[in-house]
Amino acid sequence: MSNHNKTDHHKDDELHITSYSEHFGTWVSLILLTFMTVFISVYGADLNTLTVATALFIASVKALVVAYYFMHLKYDPRIYRVMLLVVMALFVVFLIMLIFDYLTR
Amino acid sequence: MTESEISQPNYLQVKKGLFSWIFTLDHKRIGLLYLYSVGAFFLVGVALGVLMRLELLNPGRDIIEAQTYNQVFTLHGVIMIFLFIIPSIPAVFGNFFLPIMLGTDDVAFPKLNLMSWWLYVVGALFALSTLVFGDGPADTGWTFYAPYSVKTGTNVSLSVLAAFILGFSSILTGLNFIVTIHRLRAPGMGFNDMPLFSWALYATSWIQLLATPIIGITLLMIVAERILGIGLFDPSIGGDPILYQHLFWIYSHPAVYIMALPAMGIVSEIIPTFAQRTIFGYKAIAYSSMAIAFVGYFVWGHHMFTSGMSGPAAYIFSILTFFVAIPTSIKVFNWLATLYKGSINIQVPLLFAVGFIFNFLIGGLTGLVNGALAADVHLHDTYFVVGHFHYVMFGGTGFAFFGALHYWYPKMWGKMYNRTVANLAFAILFIGFNMLYFPMFILGIMGMPRRYYDYLPEFHTFNQISTYGSWILVTGLLLMVYNLIKGYFSKPVSEPNPWNGITLEWQTKSPPPLHNFDKAPELVKGGPYNYPNAING
Amino acid sequence: MEHTFSLPNSGHNYDAKASKLGMWLFLYTELLLFGGLFMVYMVYRSLNSDDFLIASFNLDVWLGAINTVVLLTSSMTIAMSITAIQLGNTKLSLRLQFLTVLAAVIFLVIKYFEWGAKIEHGLWPGMEHFISMPHGQQLYFYLYFFMTGLHGLHVVVGMIFILIVMNKIRKGSIHKNKHQLLENSGLYWHLVDLIWIYLFPLFYLIH
Repeated sequence: MSNHNKTDHHKDDELHITSYSEHFGTWVSLILLTFMTVFISVYGADLNTLTVATALFIASVKALVVAYYFMHLKYDPRIYRVMLLVVMALFVVFLIMLIFDYLTR
Repeated sequence: MTESEISQPNYLQVKKGLFSWIFTLDHKRIGLLYLYSVGAFFLVGVALGVLMRLELLNPGRDIIEAQTYNQVFTLHGVIMIFLFIIPSIPAVFGNFFLPIMLGTDDVAFPKLNLMSWWLYVVGALFALSTLVFGDGPADTGWTFYAPYSVKTGTNVSLSVLAAFILGFSSILTGLNFIVTIHRLRAPGMGFNDMPLFSWALYATSWIQLLATPIIGITLLMIVAERILGIGLFDPSIGGDPILYQHLFWIYSHPAVYIMALPAMGIVSEIIPTFAQRTIFGYKAIAYSSMAIAFVGYFVWGHHMFTSGMSGPAAYIFSILTFFVAIPTSIKVFNWLATLYKGSINIQVPLLFAVGFIFNFLIGGLTGLVNGALAADVHLHDTYFVVGHFHYVMFGGTGFAFFGALHYWYPKMWGKMYNRTVANLAFAILFIGFNMLYFPMFILGIMGMPRRYYDYLPEFHTFNQISTYGSWILVTGLLLMVYNLIKGYFSKPVSEPNPWNGITLEWQTKSPPPLHNFDKAPELVKGGPYNYPNAING
Repeated sequence: MEHTFSLPNSGHNYDAKASKLGMWLFLYTELLLFGGLFMVYMVYRSLNSDDFLIASFNLDVWLGAINTVVLLTSSMTIAMSITAIQLGNTKLSLRLQFLTVLAAVIFLVIKYFEWGAKIEHGLWPGMEHFISMPHGQQLYFYLYFFMTGLHGLHVVVGMIFILIVMNKIRKGSIHKNKHQLLENSGLYWHLVDLIWIYLFPLFYLIH
């Protein structure tokens, strides 16, 4: 297919191949993060809400790593990152508006 | 590129037989498949509506029982929302014209497109099967509010599954359109050179894509509760029914813009063609579609002001609701400014477009009345709301749908209807419509609640006027349908461009060839609505 | 097709970028599908945080952690299989996909035993032990079964998707120069992983 529209892609025509070692490195970091979050939860201090916040923070870091490296977002045209960001932002605003109702009742 | 002039057969002649239709991958045929199925369900929905109006002619029981009435208004709602309005303009005219307007030969995923239609058919069968199976169709209203929807003996599960499947069909259509718009525009056509109908569809598709899954999962929770006993909204186990309402409206309010935005796109096509001048404020109209889609995500709470939601949340939802009016009125002012100093050619499509503006204005402004907290406490669940959303949905989207049908009729079939009869049908329709729904505003302010088969004697007069209006409306509808069908059997007309339109669909033949264009279409210089002889004021 | 003239921007061309964009859009709908459940989780957890905490002690953190590792590993193998096919090593690519499917099966088996143990303890909605629990804990288990069940369903779908792709690679319709479907199945599989990344802390790690 000819490359006719300017907006979506300019530099993405050259194929980017992620190396095996990069995938392996990604995997190692994900496993480390998993053990970190498990250990914090099992042996960590009882911090209640803070524990949940930590767990969710680590989960988000993991999700970002998966999306960026395994799902190739890092090397994709910017529009993919922008769209995902918009979708996630939309979802977060849903969460905030929803919980606002319950917190102010 | 090759420019051979060998003309292809048109899409209607290419192949014959039922299978060449129901398994077609041609976006134009799929558009027509949608048109016929959507049209059939519309007429069923109308029949149910007339039945309800007939019951409401006099106080007390006239022709149907209370329970039957509850089932009839539920079925009317489900059919009209999920089987008619949501797929109407995007699936019929979007399918047929989006690729042509972008100067391509099909949508990005033709097979997925066919699958969407089949999902629609399956969903429709599920919805209709409630008539036969179990204890009759649901009696919950189309909103399926918990906990009643998980307790009632009627066949809610099947209706809800139907809505789920139809939602999936709608998601796939939206997905297809977004990719088509991103990938298949004609060489040289940037986003800001697209016709405004494409912009409207683009905004709509994003709503279909991002809002529909939420209702999908919510409805699955209802089914899980009814079948597996997994109950999340049941107050008896600590669940919160208001949470159901939140989730339901997170989809269903944006869904209102799934219904309205494509209609606005149609009006933005019709008006420049019949004013023969460039559209006023192209970018304002295009981006206001996106703005409506965006703001529309955050106003769902205005359906729940009286449900027990917190006060501060209600203020916020109310304020945001008023924001939606801004991009909407931007569009209206731009349409009016386009007509100003245009060489106006009054034809049926333009009449429908102006009818749309008139009705939508009333529907939109009464929406603000509902969106105001104090007024809503009084008007919630009264006939005022019924009047409001029928003005928006039927007077707005419905009229735009008819307008589009009349506008593109010669393009789709290469035939022409009788224009005098069409004008007459419009007039009857317009009068009947306003007579049917305007009294509902007055009834609502007087305090008549919705969804009852009976009412107090003091509401009698306006209910009578409304029911008489429904008869006039149906007369107009039938005349219009008759005229359109009769036109189909008339002689083919030679002129491919009866309205002198300049968007790409008017460059090709009528009906279009199988692959839409015999040669690469030429983009109009200076934007899609740059009419050569226009007075640019 | 009998036509002689075709547009450069035809919808009938093979267009890997369109296919990829379409897949991403589909993933957004999947994210929001689970998003609806996360909303329900958030609301009920904020209303019953103590009950959720107590109920979460019924789950085995280590089984959850093992499943997390299994899924992360499968995500790596499917990502590597794309690298392999891009480098033209079809055999290795197929092997890596096979490992992914194997991981999916292991995940489901572990999940099966987890669910089985819960049901044995009478924690399925409507069972005796379940009914005796406070409302908040009941909601926790409703959500646990619903969300992990739906996730399990996605694991099955993703597995079937990869099997279809493997079959197409064997038949030669997916190859070095035309492998978008494999990438799409990979994207889908990563999504399954992504959702689990959130389910794991929300159900197992909220102590």
